[in-house]
Formats: sequence, C-alpha cells, structure tokens
Amino acid sequence: MKTLKLSIVAFLFSIVSTSVFAQSADEVISKYFTTIGGVEKLKPLKGVKMEMSINAQGMEIPVEMVQLAGGKMYVKISLQGKEITQMASDGKTIWNTNFMTMKAEKSDAETTANAILSNNDFPDALLDYKAKGYAAEFIGKETKEGTECFKIKFTKKPVTVDGVKMDDISYYYFDTENYLAIATETEIKQGPMKGQKSVSTMSDYQEVDGVFFPFSMNMGGQDMKIKKVTLNPTVADSAFAFPAQ
Amino acid sequence: MKKTNLLIATLLLFASSAVSAQEKVILKGKELFGDISARHLGPALMSGRITDLEMHPTNNKIVYTATAGGGVWKSYDGGASFAPIFDGHIQSIGCVAIDPSKPDQNIWVGTGETWTRNSVSVGDGIYKSTDGGQNWKNMGLPKSDRISSIVVDPKNSDVVWVGVLGALWGDSEERGIYKTTDGGTTWKKEFYVDAKTGCSDLIMDPKNANIMYASFWEFRRTGWSFSSGGTQSALYKSVDGGKTWNKIHNGFPQGKLGRIAIAVAPTNSNILYSVLETEKSDKNGLYRSDDAGATWKHLNSDFGLVVRPFYFSRIVVDPKNPEIVVKAGLMGSISRDGGKTFKSLGNMHGDIHDVTFDINDSNRMYSGTDGGVYRSWDGGSTMEMVSSLPVSQFYHVSIDDNEPYNVYGGLQDNGSWYGPSKSPGGIEARDWTRVGYGDGFRVVKHPSKNIIYSEMQGAENVWRFNIDSQELITIQPLAVKGDPKLRFNWNTPMEVSKKQTDRLYIGSQFVHKSEDMGRTWTKISPDLTTNDPKKMNQENSGGLSKDNSGAENHCTLFTIAESPLNENIIWAGSDDGNIQVTKDGGKTWTNVVANIIGLPKNTWCYHIEASVFGEGTAYAVFEGHTKNDYAPYTYKTTDFGKTWKSIITADVDGFVRNIQEDYINENLLFLGTEKGLYITIDGGSNWSHFTNKMPSVAIHHMELNKKTNDLVMATHGRGIIILDDISPLRQINQVVLNKDLHFFDLKPAVIEEQSSFGTTATELEFVGNNPSSSAQIIYYLKKRHTLGKMDLEIQDENGNKITTLTPGKQKGINVVNWNYNMKNPKIAAGKTLSYYGFTAPRVAEGNYKAVLTKGKETYTYMLKVVNDPKSSISAADRQKERKITRVLFNMNEELAYTVYEIDQTNSLLTELMAKDKAYTKEATKIKTAFDNLKAKLVVTTGDNYVGAAEPQLREKLGELYANIASSFTAPSPSQLENMEAIKQRFDNSINEFKTLKSKHEASYQKKAKESNIPFVLKPFNEFVTE
Repeated sequence: MKTLKLSIVAFLFSIVSTSVFAQSADEVISKYFTTIGGVEKLKPLKGVKMEMSINAQGMEIPVEMVQLAGGKMYVKISLQGKEITQMASDGKTIWNTNFMTMKAEKSDAETTANAILSNNDFPDALLDYKAKGYAAEFIGKETKEGTECFKIKFTKKPVTVDGVKMDDISYYYFDTENYLAIATETEIKQGPMKGQKSVSTMSDYQEVDGVFFPFSMNMGGQDMKIKKVTLNPTVADSAFAFPAQ
Repeated sequence: MKKTNLLIATLLLFASSAVSAQEKVILKGKELFGDISARHLGPALMSGRITDLEMHPTNNKIVYTATAGGGVWKSYDGGASFAPIFDGHIQSIGCVAIDPSKPDQNIWVGTGETWTRNSVSVGDGIYKSTDGGQNWKNMGLPKSDRISSIVVDPKNSDVVWVGVLGALWGDSEERGIYKTTDGGTTWKKEFYVDAKTGCSDLIMDPKNANIMYASFWEFRRTGWSFSSGGTQSALYKSVDGGKTWNKIHNGFPQGKLGRIAIAVAPTNSNILYSVLETEKSDKNGLYRSDDAGATWKHLNSDFGLVVRPFYFSRIVVDPKNPEIVVKAGLMGSISRDGGKTFKSLGNMHGDIHDVTFDINDSNRMYSGTDGGVYRSWDGGSTMEMVSSLPVSQFYHVSIDDNEPYNVYGGLQDNGSWYGPSKSPGGIEARDWTRVGYGDGFRVVKHPSKNIIYSEMQGAENVWRFNIDSQELITIQPLAVKGDPKLRFNWNTPMEVSKKQTDRLYIGSQFVHKSEDMGRTWTKISPDLTTNDPKKMNQENSGGLSKDNSGAENHCTLFTIAESPLNENIIWAGSDDGNIQVTKDGGKTWTNVVANIIGLPKNTWCYHIEASVFGEGTAYAVFEGHTKNDYAPYTYKTTDFGKTWKSIITADVDGFVRNIQEDYINENLLFLGTEKGLYITIDGGSNWSHFTNKMPSVAIHHMELNKKTNDLVMATHGRGIIILDDISPLRQINQVVLNKDLHFFDLKPAVIEEQSSFGTTATELEFVGNNPSSSAQIIYYLKKRHTLGKMDLEIQDENGNKITTLTPGKQKGINVVNWNYNMKNPKIAAGKTLSYYGFTAPRVAEGNYKAVLTKGKETYTYMLKVVNDPKSSISAADRQKERKITRVLFNMNEELAYTVYEIDQTNSLLTELMAKDKAYTKEATKIKTAFDNLKAKLVVTTGDNYVGAAEPQLREKLGELYANIASSFTAPSPSQLENMEAIKQRFDNSINEFKTLKSKHEASYQKKAKESNIPFVLKPFNEFVTE
C-alpha cells in the first residue's frame, strides 16, 4: 500500500514537474522560430518593409517601416500628402523630423548609443541571441491576454539612461498552445511614465513568403495594423541617411 | 482491500469531477476579466502612512518607499515622483532591502507593517525581485506576519538575514532571526526568544559582516488592549556572523524593556545609538555607545525621543557624520551633537516613521510620515511633500447620486473628504474638499439636502456640515440621565436611512436614532454587545508606555444596516461578535449570531449588507484578525438570521471586511478582502480574484452606484478605486461562456458635452483617471485570437462604413472604445500641416452597428448613441451643425483634390520639360499659372510654428470647419457670414482652376501622349478614401 501511495505521489510529481520544468528558454524560443517559419527562413533575410496604418481613434495614418540587417531602419508616416520620417537610422546616426520645422534633427548621444546596441537584432533579437551577447531565462507560466503563456526573461546589453547604466530587460510571453509570441513587457525607464510597464501585444499572425508576421500589434497603447509585408525590399541608402540641410 | 476500494473510489471521484468540469466553463481572474480594469481616484494630496524608506547605495536617483497599506513604490528621479512596483502582492510592508552587491537587480521586500497601531494590516512573507522591482517572487516565511528587517551580505547575494517581528495578535513561533545561504530558497531559524517576543530590528556592522545587532520586543495587541514590553525584550549582539547572540545591556536600566531601536554610525562602527522604552520614564529615550555596545550612556529623554515607542522606533545616523542623528517620532527630531540635544524636523505631516539621507549630500533628506513622503533640501528644516503617492488609507466610502457622483470617506490620520468621480482632465488634488479633522471614518451625504455628516475617532465629534451655508455643528449622541458610559468604536458606525431622508443612525453599544439630522437622539436598542467588563480597561492599555488613544475601545457596535425594503428591519453588528436584528424598528432585537455554524465566538462583525432581494435576506461579514484568526468569514441568510450559509470558497485568500451585492443579479457579489477584490458570478460557488489595475490592497468598504453601476471601493492604502460599470458581469452565465464570441448589452452611449480644458497638475502630481466617455463595445471571446485576420468596423444602420476600430483579441472580456468620430477629411497637401484637418465629424444620435469579422465569421452588435441629456441644444440646431459641417468637410476634400490635380499636373510639366527643352517656355507658363493659383489655395512656405506663412484658403476653410465640427450647436451667424466669405473665395479659386485647366489641358495632354508619358489622375472617390 505504502509503495502504491508513493508511486502515485511520484507520478503526480512527475506530471507537475514536467509541466513546470520541461520548458527551457531555448526550447520555447526554438519552437517559436519553428512556428513562424523556421530559422532557415529567417536567417537569410536582408530586410523587411512593412506598410501599415496607425489607428488613432478612427484616423488612419499610413506608416511605412523598413528594417535592414545591420541596423538601417526608418519609420515614415504620411500626413496630408506629406511623408515625414519619424525615426531613422543608418546604423550610426539616429534622427527624426521636428514637427515644427519639418527638418531632420539628430537624436541625443545617449539615445543613439542605446539604439546602436540593437543594430544586429534584425530579423529578430531572439535569433542567435547568445552570439549577440543576450541572455534568455525561462521564468514560468503566466496568464497574459487571458491565455496561458510561457514567460521568458530576455536581457540585452545594458543601456544608459541619463548617464546611468541600466539592464535592458524584456519579458516575452509565448502562448503555450502554439508557441507564438503574444505579448512583451518592458519597464519604462524615463519620462513621466517611468517605472511603469510598457506592454505590447501581437496578433493576427499571417504568412508572407513562408514567414509568419503579426499583422496586428499594440505597442504601449498604440494600435498598428499591417497591410503589406515585403521581404528583402530594395531601398536606397539615402533613405536612412541624415539628410544634408 | 478496503483501502484499495477507497483508492478506486477516489480516482473515480477525480474522473467524474473532471468530466463535470469540462461541461461547465469556470474562468478565474485574468482568464475572464480581460479589459475590465480598475480606475484609481487617489487622492494623493493627503497621501498615507509610510513604513520604510531605502536609498540605492550608489545611485541617488533611486529611492524605494514602503507603505503601510499601499505596497512598494520606486522613484527613478531622486524622490521627485514614485511609481508602484508591488501591486500583485499584499500591500502592507514592513521593510525593503537593496542587495549592496547587486543594487540594480536584487530587491527584497518583507511584508507586514511593524508600526503596530490598531488598524495595522498583516503580511504574508518575504519577496524578492531580481530585475529591480519589475517582477516579484514569494521566497517563503509565509507565517512571518510582519518582517522588521532584511540584511543582505554585502559580499554574497545568496546570504540574507531576516528579522521577523511576527504576529501582533497572538503567540507565534515564527518569530526570530532567519538566514538563507541560497538566495531565499531555504531558510533556517538562527535565533529565537519566545512566542511572544519578536525581532524588531536587525542591523549589520557596515565594516564587518560578522558583527550584527538585533533588538527583540515583547508585545501584544487584542481588540481591546495593547501591551508593549516585558522581561524578554532585549538588545543582542553577534560577533560570529549570527551563530551566537549575547545581550548588550551594560548601562541599560534593570527591569522590563519595551521596543528598542538600534542604529550603527555608517562612518564609525564603534558608535551605536539605541532608543529604549523602560519601566521608568526618566530612563526612557536615547542611549549611546562608543565602544560597539560594550557600554551605554543615557543621553536624552525628551518627548520627541520617547513618544509612542510602538509607533516610532527608528533611529537614523547621517551617512557622513556620526554626530548627526535623527529619531522618528510625532514630529521627528534631529541632533547635531551626537544625541545630546534635539530639535524638531521642519513642518510636515505628523507621525514620522522613517528618515533616510541622500548618499552624497546629507542636506538632502527623505521622511516617511502618516501622510506620505516629504523631501528636504536643507537638512530637514524645510519639508516638501511628494505629490505622486496616492497611498491614502480610507476606512469607509459612500457616494451620492449626483452626476458625476461624489465620493465621501475618511482616512487614517488624514481627516474626512469628498471629491468627484470625474473632473475635466482628471481628478486632481484641488478637486477634493476636507470635511473633518483627525482620523476620518464614515462620511455620508444627506440623500436630498446639501448636508454632509462626518466623524472623527470614537465619535469624539460627529459633524453636520451644510455645504451651501457652511453651517457646521456637532451632533454626536450624548449620554443622558441613566445612561452608562457610551462606548463608541474608533470607527463608529453611522448610517443614513434609505427611507426617511432626515433619519440618521449612530452606534455606541446602543443603536441611536435621530429623525432631525442629529439634533435629537433616541436609543432604539438595549446594549447589543457582550458588554464584557474585561474588555473595557482601555485606560491601562499600552504596556510600559501608556497608550489610551481610544483606538482600543471595545464592546461597541461596528455596523448598522437598515433594510432597503423595510425601514423597520435594522441589523446591527458588534466588534465583540454579535449580530442583532429588529423587525419592528428597534422595539425588539434578536441576537442571531449563535445560528451561524462554524463561526468562532466573539469574531468581529465587520459588515452587514441588507439585501434588496428580500426583507429577510442579508450578508454578514466577520473577521477575526484581532484574535489572530485570518480566515475569511462571509454568510448569507434569507430568513432574518435564523439560518446562515457560508459563501466562502478556497478561492478567497485573506480575511474579508466587506461585501457588496449587485442590485440586479443576486448571484453577482463583490468581496473586499485584505488582499484585494474578489468577484463571484454564481452566488459564491466560485470566486475570482480581480487584478486588472487592482492591487492586492485591503478593501474596507464598497458601494455600488445604482445609476452608473460603478463599484466604488475604499481601500486602506491605495485611496478610492472604482470599477466602472459592472453591468457586463451581470450577463455572464454558462450560455455566454460557451459561445465563441458574445456581445454584452450596454446602456446607450452618451455623447457628453464637456469642456476640453485640462488640469493644472504638473507631471509630479497624481491625477485620478476619469471614466471612459466613449461608446464601448464589450464582448467575450472564448479563445484568444492570434492567427489570421480580425477586424472591427462601425457602420450606420444601413451598413455604410463609418470608421474602423481595433478589436481586442484576448480571451475573456474585451472592451473597445469609440469616440463617436467618423472619418476625418482629406486635406490639401501644403508646405505645412493643417492641424484643423485632424478634426473628425461626430456621428448623430441614433443606432449603429459594430461589425466584427474574425476569419470567416461575422458578428454584429447594435449600439445606441444618444445626445447628452443635460444638453439644452435643440434637435434643429444639431441638424444645422451637422449640415454645415458636412458642407465644409466636402469643400475641404474638393480643395484637396484640386491641389492634388495641380501638383500632378505640375510634376507632369516638369517631366515634359526635362524630356523636351523646346516645350520649356510653354510648360513654364502653364506651371507658373498653376503655382500662382496654388499659393492662394494652400500655404506653400514657412513652418508649423512661429515661422508660419500667412494663412491661405486651406487654413481659413480648415479653421472654420474644425470649429463648427467640434461644437454641438448650430453655427453662429458670424460663423455663417465667415463661411460665405470663404465660400466665395473657394468658388472663385475652383473656377480659376477650371479655367486654367480648360485653357491648357489640351496642350500638356497632347505633349504627354507624344512623349509617351502617361497622365492618369486618381478618381476623386479613390483619392479621398486612400
């Protein structure tokens, strides 16, 4: 009888332990990549162009975002027939457009230095993260978006905020049912919201040439809807460079 | 054999419960509540009790604040502002500690406040964060009750010592000093005195981790008494890393000791300061040792050093100067001569519990009081309050039926207040009005007159305040001939009748009734308490230091409830565990507590909710924490208390103080516990912890607004928190939960006509959120939408698209807001942006469709939009506003298309010139003509700020459009005249364009054809919708 009891306890424990401990961060991340198309599809990517719209309470603002391997990127919004580059990087200089003068201005040195740390993130910061000097840790299961998720703590290289070095930590939530990332969380480090969490959610995953992208995102309260994704777009270098004035 | 059968039976039971669980959908917490989230009103202007302050050891921008009931807050800006970082856990905090070797990562929190006043809450263990406070994990010591100290080995993050003060209301063997050597996974008790005596302070020599000091305190509270001190209170020292502990009392007086504070000077480990509570008042106060505790010298027994040791027992030494010492106290005291003499700290809220110095500049100080955190820039002489800490401790809340409704309540040591549930730009400090001094408790509004009743502790004063005339009188019931001493609880019950508006009830040991708003009182009951003389000896309460504040008054009534259905049915509950009911307006009373099976005797009756669903129906909430019993007790009766049924399940964690029933759905109930809000949709068979923006904070009282269906909560540590419109929760049942998607029925959405002016608050001030003023579409999703498309569109009744919205995708309840806007107009492209173009027309009152498409499925919900019932604008005027708005909207779009045509034509001409130089002259002529016209249509120079060019047609047209579109009433005659002028210019311009176009079109079209350059304009409809 005693052995029977023990074996039941052992059996229950094994169920509990497998469900709690079977996942490592690498397994979750690896299954995530398999689900969205496979590492072999992602690695050769040279760039992505996303045409999307920001829904600001009924007002749909067209946005074009391009990201290339190596850190080149821009976000361009279209307002009243004008294209305004809201944020751009040629890999070295981060700049954006001043709304008063409509002229390009460089970001401050700290913002630039922090942004450059992510230059090699494309196409996904999680891809080969160890080689990038990042760390991932499996935290456990947590309910996000009403759904049971695997929670991964993801630490990138430290950023500098107002002269002080700080850990750059995000938490990724992968749906336990399909291993898709459905939410991320980061701590807001400056501005009036500092100390609070910025939450992003991802949904409407759809396939583009064998790779799945979330076609609907909410980043810290801002809804974005992707209309078209182009893989390996051709974009002139000048689009990323700080314009001569 | 028998045992095997039992095993099989057990397994079968498991199997059958698994089957029935599949049929019934039971969603708990985050799976169900989705977007339904709480709204914080604060206020922060009077803030709340602070228990501990900790400064980062190397970065003086980072400061942590621990609170009595509001969790832990972190500042990133040197205490200018704070953000909450501990909302998911119990909010009563003993201490915060920062790991000296990993100060940006490892933060420890010991729960359970150690300033043991009567209203103190409880803790549930020790927590650790490894990411600077973003995420927390409970690391054990679940029965520690209150943790006074955490010390992390400066060289090894895995080694941590914890001082456990332990239970306040009973014996506990959990007290003592604990140590972990594996970062908190396992704990070993290193030192223990006895079940009555806990560790009240544990500190480490800053220069030598083997040397530690620990004070132990013998203390006990009951519902009717407090005792500080005994033979076991002592100060100990260890020189071997906590293995052995020896008393260091050389120079201390003999006899019993009370609470002992201890501090070591950061710059000189030989200098120690200690504050003693002793048997003799002339021996109380500050002691100093200059030989690391070998001998002590008594220096000072001023009031500031000896006042209320259980409440103030913190001594802090300047990090740079061992002769500068601060003692917490009623005002806080500072010495600059090594403790010989003291002066008070600068003006701030009284009751200072902790002080911390900036690591670099000792003139910069922080002080934690009963009324929040204060900063000083001049060594404590001048104090400035932090305005972003809404940790106010409400004892009670009531509401009126104004629109928007006001919220009334009283606070621990911060008086009584009322403020609006909604205010332009948010609810800020200036919106709140004070209506009482001292400790505030129940504040109630007269149901029809502009009169507010408020009270202070023990009904020492009950005020009647006329808001209009400012007349203020005191109305507390007074003893009359033949009366015994009236015993009023610290938090005296006061109720306004729902049936007779001038009637007021107040409870001592009797129920007192007034029919004239408190001028005359009659007792309508005998003593309804146990009237136990053993529990009435408050004069001798306190232990070594007498402490007769009235906080321990006992054998008093605590809750009175008149039935909303029958004014002759009145319930009364007492702090010593009686629940009495009368059915004849007080002539006869029946004690029905004995009918409650399973309730321990003399358990405090905290709240009675007389139901709207039956005269004999009521809920009774009991809580026994003052008897060291933290179990939840909530019962329902439907027969005037003859029988009771417990409605508590294992879901509920933390003792209960309040219950609120819904007025429509008898099965929908809200439970206020010491760890937050629980909701049941099935009459208490299952409870769900509600955590969306709702901290695990103690809820002392709740009200449900009948008009708005808002649940208003008085939290004891996070101010007033509101759950707006709970009506969707009424509609949840098994049918709904089994549907893939279900829209909840909502009351019509009101387009509010309100000022767009904001607040005056700076970014450092807390501002309470307003409720949503948008139309809401609320639906339940059975499963989160992750793969494929999901869209939401608003259409008119005929299916014409009005706008698109972003649907929520989560499992559970999703809330989508629509601000009544239609599409905004397409605006002509110019050199600059026209901000007027961002104004969208609003829809008219009427019925609309929300059409949600998810994969192949389409779901439709009809919503009704109505105009503001408070508005005096006529339908005809609204009609005019919409008509003119549409005319101007169309003009904007026509102008946009014209400019588009000009721009396209001009770029064609440029291209043609490049291809054929011979065409240059002709092309330049045409282009110049178009450019000249365009310069009158839109701004073609300047910038968006003070470099702006002279406004052109687009700007003038846009401005008028935006002004009219954003108002509700008909355009004024002046606006219409302005419109005529603009229209004339518009017509002229369009004509001029048409003339130019017809004159030159043939030329450039022909040339384009010859040059093989296609010239195709988008059609108007495509252009304006792209």
